Amino acid sequence: MPRPKPHSACEDFHRTAATARHPSVGVTRRHFLGWGMGAGLALYTARALPLEHWMDGAQEAAAQNPQARILVSVFLPGGLDLLDSCLDTSQYGVYAGVRGSAARPETSDVLAGTSISTHPSLAAGQDGGLRALFDAGRIGLLPGIDYSNPDLSHFHSRRFWETGTITAAETTGWLGRWLDTNATPDNPFQGLSAGSRLSPTLLTSRSPVCSVESTRRSKLGIPGVSEPGLDRAMRAYGDLAAARRTDGTGRAAARASARYAQTVADRLEPLDDSGPPAPTPGDPTDVASVQAPISGYPPGSPFGERLRQLGFLLAQPLGTRIATVDCNADFDTHSDQPERLTRALSDVSGSLAAFQADLEARGLGERVLTFVWTEFGRRPKANRSAGTDHGAGGIGWVMGVRAAPGLRTEYPSLSDLDGHGNLRVTVDFRAIYASLIEQWLGTSAEGIIPDSRSFARIRLVT
Amino acid sequence: MPKPKRRRTRRPAGSPRTWTEAHVRRVFWRAGFGATAKEARTWSRRGKAATLDWLVADRPALYRGPAGTADGLALDPLNEFGHDKLWWLDRMVRTSHPLQEKMTLFWHDHFATRSQPTPLMLAQNETQRRLALGAFPSLLRAMAIDAALARFLSLTKSVKAAPNENFARELMELFTLGTGYTEVDVREASRALTGLRQARANGQTTGIVYDPTKHDDGVKTIFGATGSWGGEDVLRFCVQHPAHGPFLTAKLWDFFVGTPLNPVVRDKLVGTYVSSGLQLRPLVRAILARPELYANLTRPDMVKWPAVFIAGQLRTMGASVEVPDWVPLMASMGQTLFSPPSVAGWEWGPLWLSSNAMRARFKAASVLTGDGGPASVASSDVRPRMRPDQHMALALAAVGQPEITNPTHRALRRLIASYGSSPRSRERAQELQRSLRHLLISGPDNQLC
Repeated sequence: MPRPKPHSACEDFHRTAATARHPSVGVTRRHFLGWGMGAGLALYTARALPLEHWMDGAQEAAAQNPQARILVSVFLPGGLDLLDSCLDTSQYGVYAGVRGSAARPETSDVLAGTSISTHPSLAAGQDGGLRALFDAGRIGLLPGIDYSNPDLSHFHSRRFWETGTITAAETTGWLGRWLDTNATPDNPFQGLSAGSRLSPTLLTSRSPVCSVESTRRSKLGIPGVSEPGLDRAMRAYGDLAAARRTDGTGRAAARASARYAQTVADRLEPLDDSGPPAPTPGDPTDVASVQAPISGYPPGSPFGERLRQLGFLLAQPLGTRIATVDCNADFDTHSDQPERLTRALSDVSGSLAAFQADLEARGLGERVLTFVWTEFGRRPKANRSAGTDHGAGGIGWVMGVRAAPGLRTEYPSLSDLDGHGNLRVTVDFRAIYASLIEQWLGTSAEGIIPDSRSFARIRLVT
Repeated sequence: MPKPKRRRTRRPAGSPRTWTEAHVRRVFWRAGFGATAKEARTWSRRGKAATLDWLVADRPALYRGPAGTADGLALDPLNEFGHDKLWWLDRMVRTSHPLQEKMTLFWHDHFATRSQPTPLMLAQNETQRRLALGAFPSLLRAMAIDAALARFLSLTKSVKAAPNENFARELMELFTLGTGYTEVDVREASRALTGLRQARANGQTTGIVYDPTKHDDGVKTIFGATGSWGGEDVLRFCVQHPAHGPFLTAKLWDFFVGTPLNPVVRDKLVGTYVSSGLQLRPLVRAILARPELYANLTRPDMVKWPAVFIAGQLRTMGASVEVPDWVPLMASMGQTLFSPPSVAGWEWGPLWLSSNAMRARFKAASVLTGDGGPASVASSDVRPRMRPDQHMALALAAVGQPEITNPTHRALRRLIASYGSSPRSRERAQELQRSLRHLLISGPDNQLC
């Protein structure tokens, strides 16, 4: 694989530090971008499409391609430390030296065929957690993932990962661009964030996307208004939400999200997530086999609950192709890293392992691949707060029945750090994106990942 | 169907009136939490200069009307779950100095701090309120020694033997400069900022103290200047850095105006800021006076922050915080006060409006129009055979006279018409009135200001 150029001291930082976050100074808050607001919006101008059309969108998409593959993107915010998560035990001496009292104890318990020892918390959860999934060949590990001359700002780095570009320019999310190119123009479920907010990776220029915080009690109602008055009122809401050619970006976003909220509520209403639903004759969504209640998610974990709901949603014929979930733990461990990682990784392991078991129990194992990422790695040398500062050469992994197992990228050397004392990057995240798009989603990465040809592909799918 | 009535604020083209109720509503929403019908009338008569002077004036805030409650109980922000958020919403709803409160919200996003003990968060909030419109360097200094922020960014764990870069990096990237510094500047500044630690009593953090034995008093080079710099020096260098004025001006512009900032205008505003000695009041007043803020008066395009949506709705309706529902609903809308998603604060603009957030805004309207809510419809409010324009006027008055666009007006008139030209029974009239009020609050128009 191509080896990025080493850091040339602070000039590189100047380049990326020039990408600040406000209008007129570089990367902005994306005031001028939303979703469903680009050229394709013409589709919805003048009047809203009838509601039935939206409902058809999800069902049609699902019906046309019931076996379509689904990519789930899981974000671990804050910058997860590679070394403590998955340590190359052949470098234990150097690791122990730089981490001092915060170092993990030495162990000979390594993943089969590698010298990698996973954090003890990664064995937490159902049937041995992520550690067991490694051993079962369902995880492909991506150590050293980052980009050349990494920017150590959370904000910049996250933005680069979200957009799939290393520029300050306004742009859509990398998964949103895939939807704009490959998905249907009228199904908000095709790109779905499990949680209250929409992941910036899903920002599209024209395709509808949605976020779903809860799969229960989805109907939208007005207190004290019953049918047929409610139907009239909801039609009026639909009228208010109809896109208009003259809308500015804020107004277009308000109307689009009102339309999608209504569609999501209408579609989810007949699906009861609290247990096996009562059969409804002629209801194509009533498939008993996909309703099996799944246990094993860590109790009280919001991340686990989001994944549980996502498992439920993916089993419905909603036509979802891309889904995102954010972990709510904070991996920005500037202090007390050992305790914090012990807690947080246990949640990650328990939740993701339960999700994988859930998917397989629902018969979705062959259809879903999960990609886990974080915005950067952490510096090998510990600080005095038993923590680590922002660094490079992070960690990611792919998980699934079809994931290519084992060590997929080169583990960075602790004896060959860059000029800032950070790990060298061994694989550009855009190589992983392009590989996922081609090998899993089965489409071209051209036009989705800029300069995609310049990145050597990594085999991620079997 | 009768023709929609022309809205009162609309004036003939070429009207000499340059300061109308629509102008007042615009600036009151941007600089605060909306204008009541009475405020719009009053300040449109007094003129632009008087309005802006009043908005930015250095005066103490009074909190008018009955204090907020949660299910009949007094708010207890320190001890009751969620009451800290309700308590702040209550400030926004009742303050006599809305700009000060809006700037407090701005600084909460700017110096974004989370996961700290509630007493420290409330103390930080009070500091941000007190210094909201004063000199930026004073605010910055107060933030550097603010216990919640210093803990959050590991500043209190940064010592000579091992400086922690967290605070120094965010100081430059997020608080003062955005750009124009190097990794070396971050590292050297983190050395200069060493030596602060928490003062503790009974196991609780009570404040921040300076411990010279933990401070690195060696020579550092920051932005090219070499000396035995300390923390105060770093803060001074940051606010004197040429990138600071444009950085903060652009962010405030983004907050109040939201459209692209013309470089000529920016330079003028930066001039106002710098020549005043980095005072915020003149800079904010200059931004509020810009014509760009008043563009598209009848079709606003700025997405209301969730806190602004809720507080503004209550404020313009003359209602108070009375239910704890705002806590989970605001979380679903993407804004949990005192818990910004990261040190970079919240994402603004259309990103507030995921489909789930819009759903939560719809549910907020249900809370307001539901039984016991401030916009609920009593049977005595309506009469059978009310005319469509009476229905419309009643609904608009009940939800605080929001600005609505003509298409919204027409859609709601169609809803009224679907009940027949005049609903015959009181129950039907009541139901229609409920729907109208709900849609005025939950509809897309009302998410914008």
